[in-house]
Amino acid sequence: MSTTDSTFASLRTLLGESLVSERQGKTVVSPSSTHEVSSVTRYADENNLTLEIVGSGTKRGWGNAMDSTIILDMTRLAGIREHVWQDLTTTVAAGTIWASLQQALAVQNQRIALDPLWPASATVGGIIATNDSGSLRTTYGSLRDLIIGMTVVLADGTIARTGGKVVKNVAGYDLHKLMTGAFGTLGVITEVTFRLHPTTKASASWTITSDQPEALERCRDQIVTSALSFEALQLRTCREGFALDLSIVSLPECMEDLSQILQSIAGNLTMRVAEPDVWLLREHCFFAENVTVKLTLSPTRITQFLSEVKAMGGEGVAQQCGILIATLPAEAEAISRLRARATAQGGSLTILQWPANAPSRPDIWGPTGSSFALMQEIKRRFDPNRTINPGCFVGGL
Amino acid sequence: MLNRAVIDELGRAVDSGKAGQQSGIITEANQLQTYECDGLTAFRTVPGAVLLPRNTEQVQAVVRICAKHRIPFVARGSGTGLSGGALPAEGGIVISFARMNKILEIDIPNQRVIVEPGVINAHVTDAVAAHGYFYAPDPSSQSVCSIGGNVAENAGGAHCLKYGFTTTHVLGLDVVLPSGELVTFGSETPDPQGYDLAGVFVGSEGTLGVATKITLRIVKRPKTVQVLLAAFDTIAAAGQAVSDVIAAGMLPAAMEMMDRLSAEASEAAVHPNYPICEALLLIELDGLEAEVDAQMLEATALCKQNGAWEVRLAQTAEERGLIWKGRKAAFAAMGRISPNYIVQDGVIPRTALPVVLDTISQMAKQAQLRVANVFHAGDGNLHPMVLYDDSIPGQEEIALALSHRILEVCVDHGGSITGEHGVGKEKQHAMSYMFSEPDLDTMHRVRHAFDPDNIANPDKLFPRPRLCGEKPGPYTPHPLETAGIAEFF
Repeated sequence: MSTTDSTFASLRTLLGESLVSERQGKTVVSPSSTHEVSSVTRYADENNLTLEIVGSGTKRGWGNAMDSTIILDMTRLAGIREHVWQDLTTTVAAGTIWASLQQALAVQNQRIALDPLWPASATVGGIIATNDSGSLRTTYGSLRDLIIGMTVVLADGTIARTGGKVVKNVAGYDLHKLMTGAFGTLGVITEVTFRLHPTTKASASWTITSDQPEALERCRDQIVTSALSFEALQLRTCREGFALDLSIVSLPECMEDLSQILQSIAGNLTMRVAEPDVWLLREHCFFAENVTVKLTLSPTRITQFLSEVKAMGGEGVAQQCGILIATLPAEAEAISRLRARATAQGGSLTILQWPANAPSRPDIWGPTGSSFALMQEIKRRFDPNRTINPGCFVGGL
Repeated sequence: MLNRAVIDELGRAVDSGKAGQQSGIITEANQLQTYECDGLTAFRTVPGAVLLPRNTEQVQAVVRICAKHRIPFVARGSGTGLSGGALPAEGGIVISFARMNKILEIDIPNQRVIVEPGVINAHVTDAVAAHGYFYAPDPSSQSVCSIGGNVAENAGGAHCLKYGFTTTHVLGLDVVLPSGELVTFGSETPDPQGYDLAGVFVGSEGTLGVATKITLRIVKRPKTVQVLLAAFDTIAAAGQAVSDVIAAGMLPAAMEMMDRLSAEASEAAVHPNYPICEALLLIELDGLEAEVDAQMLEATALCKQNGAWEVRLAQTAEERGLIWKGRKAAFAAMGRISPNYIVQDGVIPRTALPVVLDTISQMAKQAQLRVANVFHAGDGNLHPMVLYDDSIPGQEEIALALSHRILEVCVDHGGSITGEHGVGKEKQHAMSYMFSEPDLDTMHRVRHAFDPDNIANPDKLFPRPRLCGEKPGPYTPHPLETAGIAEFF
């Protein structure tokens, strides 16, 4: 009996036949509870096997490649556990699809104020593990500001709860912050409690275009310091050169005044009502044949780097908070130089997608910081046998 | 006690060598007493020495000496903490940040300020106010508390309902680890590579290291601010008004509630001209003038619908200031109506407010003590104040027991043992009521990764001291204990 066969048989004995299957020579386990996840990680840990955590797989190509023995399929661990709308909180299982969650919350005119990539298929757990975010981040913060509690299963099967179900809570360490964006390398997220925001009463989006990025930068600076209560603000490349997209939220009776303020800021530049898909445009950077990168920058560097992306023959969408998603020609040296410039200014460049047929790529993550040894020690304390998602994160964490 | 050789070594670490500059070490017994406790005065330990470094290098040098000799250390800002976070450890030292109090950089276009940890919270806002910005976290002690202390405790304040807590506003930190090594957590740009160590460090109560430089996010000041005061006959009615405001889709900058006892005490202390009522609700809305006007109309109507018999909108900045002065003076004002009091800090889901307050009231009656209540009603953060007289034998113990039982009630209703004051020394025991052993064990893994020798603010935050390598569960002697090398006290 091969290792794969014995693993398959043992896991079937442990969890029941219906939760264990085989796909492309790998054992796939699909637990439906936190305790079942715990049984799987403990089994893998005790038997020196490795696990890859997979949700819907929308971002499975992100991070270093892994060759694990077992695939931990999280999609069966799904559903809303609780939505206490009066307290503006909800607890959900990690395999829940983002859009279905938002639809359920919308019944009470509430939402999680985050607009991640591919909401119709991405799972809550995958979005958290990769710390994905979109245009709303500028106003509402990232997942670290929206998650108030979490249940996590560690490699040895320990089930730990962190945070709670109240928005304000400083008891103990914020382990959910450690788990958010850790690419699953510290444990398996099984349940999450979010703080919610009311849906907006009225919102409208506009686009201002120019072939001069500096002109749009001046607009942006005025918007940021003006009285406009914007919800999202992004600068991007487009057919006309560059575009500044702005979403304003307010009361219905205030919208007309606000659009006039915006028009006066835009001055002679072309301003129009934004296309409906404008806040999803960064998804276009991920077409299959593309090289896609994520640059993190100070807000004042966005224009400069977006111009560089365009000069390199690329396209990009940059949020005001300082995240630029770009598609670039597959030129390793040019991308490394761009990374060096971003790093020199306190930012970073991460490669999210690199087609298999493209020439050799630079390291996915780039330089590790001064705290990398501490990160290694944390990984060692949480997963000493490197059982869960081994090596997929920064520096092989 | 620290021996003379160690004290000399520590003294050299903070000696700048510049003629005429004050010594950076305090060892005189009468001076050390200043540092024996923080705002929680029930626990006192005189430190072995107090170090006053002037820069990060000196902090590193001090911590390296601590690491070499296994000397416990605790960082101290202004000492205003309410959970004993800055209480020295027996035989340990205090690292005071009184001399590291400079604002290092103000970057308005990127909306950030870089400060040393000893900078006073309110001074950050003072420094950026002229540019139309402010620093949002506003604990009641903001005119004296330090940013370093705010970071350690993840301080909140009345306005975190809308603007978030300290952790929301810390972009990055330079941290001296318990080994003396200097590292950077977080970044001035979003999503620095690797684990979110800034996220786990903020609020870790000094148990993971010492921050020496902090990058803060500042926020654009809203164009209009309005404050409404509403008087109710019952806490339940005021609580319902709070829920209705939230349900209407508003996110007020603050929603605060005071019961009759606390409002009367504030009135006596700072004369904010509060109406005399069972529940006083304060709602602050901010934003564009037209938006605030429209929302204030709606909020006023919701208060009246829930039985508010007086609804008063502050007409001037002075009136607003006075209303807030009364609210922020609430803790200190208790001294006017009781010789002694314990300030508690629990959190409950907002919807549990009426039932929890009713339970607290019954418990107070049983204990024959008075409990005054002030709370951040918008986010369910309660500050019950248990009033007692320590000249009556046994009453302090009864008050302490009641105060602890209140926390358990908060946990029983799905809440937390602390919303902003921290666990520190005061609430160690309550951690095991809120968290299970596996939860605490997981937190210990983090602790030990940062501080394997347990010297950074030891014996705080966790239910009882645990050494690296000790197994969770029922008490078993640590290998170092059996070997006769270490002991628990």
